[in-house]
Amino acid sequence: MKKTLVLFAHPYFEHSTTNVRLLECYDDMDNVTFRDLYEDYPDFHIQPFRERKRIVEYDRIIFHFPIIWFGLPPLLKLWIDEVFDMRWISEGDQNILSGKDALIIMTVGGSESNYSKDGKYKTTAEELLTGLRVSLDINHIELKKTHIIYNADNLDDSQLDVSCQELTQILKVE
Amino acid sequence: MENSIAMTILIFLGVAIIMVPLGKKLGLSSVIGYLLGGILIGPFCLQLTGKNAEDIMHASELGVIMLLFLVGLELEPQKLWQIRKRILGLGLSQMLLSICGVFIVFYIAGFGLQKSFIISLCFAMSSTAIVLQTLKEKNLFRTVSGESSFSILLFQDIAVIPILALLPFLSASDKAYTQEHGQFLLHYIPDWLQPFTVIVAVFTLILLGRYLFIPFLRFVSKSGLNELLTAASLFLVIGVSELMISIGLSPALGAFIAGVMLANSEFRHELESNIDPFKGLLLAVFFVSVGATINFDIIASKPVFIFSAAFIVLAIKASVLFGIGKYYRMNNEQSFFLAFALSQVGEFAFVLINFSASLFLIDYQANSELMAIVAITMCISPLLLIFKEKVLDKRFIKQKSEENIELGIIKQRKIIIVGFGYFGSTVGRLLKANGIRSTVLDNDPDRVALLRSNGFNVYYGDATKPTLLRAAGIEEAELLVICLDDPEKNKFLVDYAKENYPGLKIFVRAKNRLDAYEFLNKKVDNIYRETLGTAVDMAVDILQENGMRKYTARRMGKRFMIIDKAMTRRLAREKDNNTITFTLRETLEREAQLLALDSISFEENHWSGDDEEDK
Repeated sequence: MKKTLVLFAHPYFEHSTTNVRLLECYDDMDNVTFRDLYEDYPDFHIQPFRERKRIVEYDRIIFHFPIIWFGLPPLLKLWIDEVFDMRWISEGDQNILSGKDALIIMTVGGSESNYSKDGKYKTTAEELLTGLRVSLDINHIELKKTHIIYNADNLDDSQLDVSCQELTQILKVE
Repeated sequence: MENSIAMTILIFLGVAIIMVPLGKKLGLSSVIGYLLGGILIGPFCLQLTGKNAEDIMHASELGVIMLLFLVGLELEPQKLWQIRKRILGLGLSQMLLSICGVFIVFYIAGFGLQKSFIISLCFAMSSTAIVLQTLKEKNLFRTVSGESSFSILLFQDIAVIPILALLPFLSASDKAYTQEHGQFLLHYIPDWLQPFTVIVAVFTLILLGRYLFIPFLRFVSKSGLNELLTAASLFLVIGVSELMISIGLSPALGAFIAGVMLANSEFRHELESNIDPFKGLLLAVFFVSVGATINFDIIASKPVFIFSAAFIVLAIKASVLFGIGKYYRMNNEQSFFLAFALSQVGEFAFVLINFSASLFLIDYQANSELMAIVAITMCISPLLLIFKEKVLDKRFIKQKSEENIELGIIKQRKIIIVGFGYFGSTVGRLLKANGIRSTVLDNDPDRVALLRSNGFNVYYGDATKPTLLRAAGIEEAELLVICLDDPEKNKFLVDYAKENYPGLKIFVRAKNRLDAYEFLNKKVDNIYRETLGTAVDMAVDILQENGMRKYTARRMGKRFMIIDKAMTRRLAREKDNNTITFTLRETLEREAQLLALDSISFEENHWSGDDEEDK
């Protein structure tokens, strides 16, 4: 198993039911470091150098978050702003991120039909991730998989079981 | 051998000091140690006690009165309300079933109707002292069986009071009343009122508690002398019990009501910590004297009767308790604990039996026999618990691990805040605003009175006294928040807590960086320098005034705090050895070191962050 860093960001985690269940999927995995950003930086003061020193050690980054008002949770966005460095992509500089790969695990409240060109939001859920995808791409991080869990506010226990099984499978991607 | 009172007390305490640790080694509770000690020095063994033993027993019954006062203090009306159903359900069923069982057996065995009834009342009681001691030693207070045991004991403690009030009415002869100590006050009460003395006395005590005791204690506490408060506490307990005796009522009832009346006051923990050593001492003497007065001639003359009675009583009580446990859906392990832990006859039986004897409800012969039975059950029940632990528990291990998971009752962590001045009160207010309750200790009587009137759970007392901390529940506490103004007292508390309660998480207020060094070297993790945050806030605002963008200034402030805390840790480690106090020169040197480090570390690329998760 690749050495994996899970960056979990959820500003309202205490009101979440789906993500509480989904996080259990990481428990049995080897070589995984789980980080809850809103616990690590409650005052939004990210320490970029500490983060950069750590990130080198991992082969895979998993971004796990809910969509908040059609965008990334603000602390995750801030984490990327502070930790990623434009100088890394300018030519000649060594990029500490290149060669890593990534997974995106995202929960959304709306249904899959709402997130379509003809649906209520006239936008797909993947489109909401454009900024993150470009950032990964330009740093030579290969995005292996984007997994979206729709209707995350209204899943019953059996549906949650199915979601967990799916996630466990996805996490095994090589 | 005839001794002076002082000599007798000396022997009593001496044997207790030797026997209790010996008993502990064998896994017996301290009560058994005292009883064995008493038997050892009694007339049937070493004959060290003279005729004084019984006098001392009567004198030390004050210990039982104090025990009831303390039980009353624990019984905050609200707390009582929360567990009312359990107390009533478990307690009442235990009492009624045990009384019925014992009554039927003794009645069939040919004791009279009245005598059997009195015996069953006495034998339904369990031993508060033994069981609470066991729960404490085994740390079982928060388990299902522990809470159930406590509920049953509580019900029994309360039931003693109506029983004590009831016994005189059972007594056919009037001699009983004249036997009591001088009831001079009773003569001043009009005849038609006399039957209502119990009610009148209870109301008088409630009024006294409201309007006299608390103002009286406030007045005394303002003097600021600890020994005066101890004197006042003793005065209160002994005074109330004497008052009750003088109107012909049970002093234990009076002490209990006085305790309940003060349970809500700010002096609760202070009173507990003052009375507790006396209670412990007197109860020890009481138990030893009980042991010393066990009449072995009687046991020897009727061994079959005494022992079979003791075992029958144990069997009845244990099966009643086991049934109750099962009825309340406890598993086998919990029910067995309940059955064995509470099956003995308790110390209240001694009081009740002696009281009944003084009312001529039972004769001297029966009195001695009953006392012997009680003592035997007390000695056997700890052995039953050992049997349960060693033999039965092995079968329940599976069940037990399941129960632990299910037991995870989400309770808020118990917090004690020491010092509620400007610093501590800010901490307490933020906690309270979020619904987190804490026990607060402060030693300014005016502030305590003011805060209490605003609904804070504050108690008066000097928190550097270990007894007060214990009374406030430091043994069960998980967080200790130390916010005293005096750094030396804070250090003392940290040392005390680290040494005696290593599991306790400590949050401490530090005056400045030098204090912080000391706390760091004492291995405290949560240290709050009272000037750091405010000074940084001020500097951030000054940076803004100089034209820096507010967001940037705030980030610089945050970064400064992180670096400063990391540096403080580093410097504390460097010099942690022999320097306990700093000279002025050393202080300046350290400040210079810090300034030097600042200028390096603020250069971003040199600041690589500390790998220990400093925040």
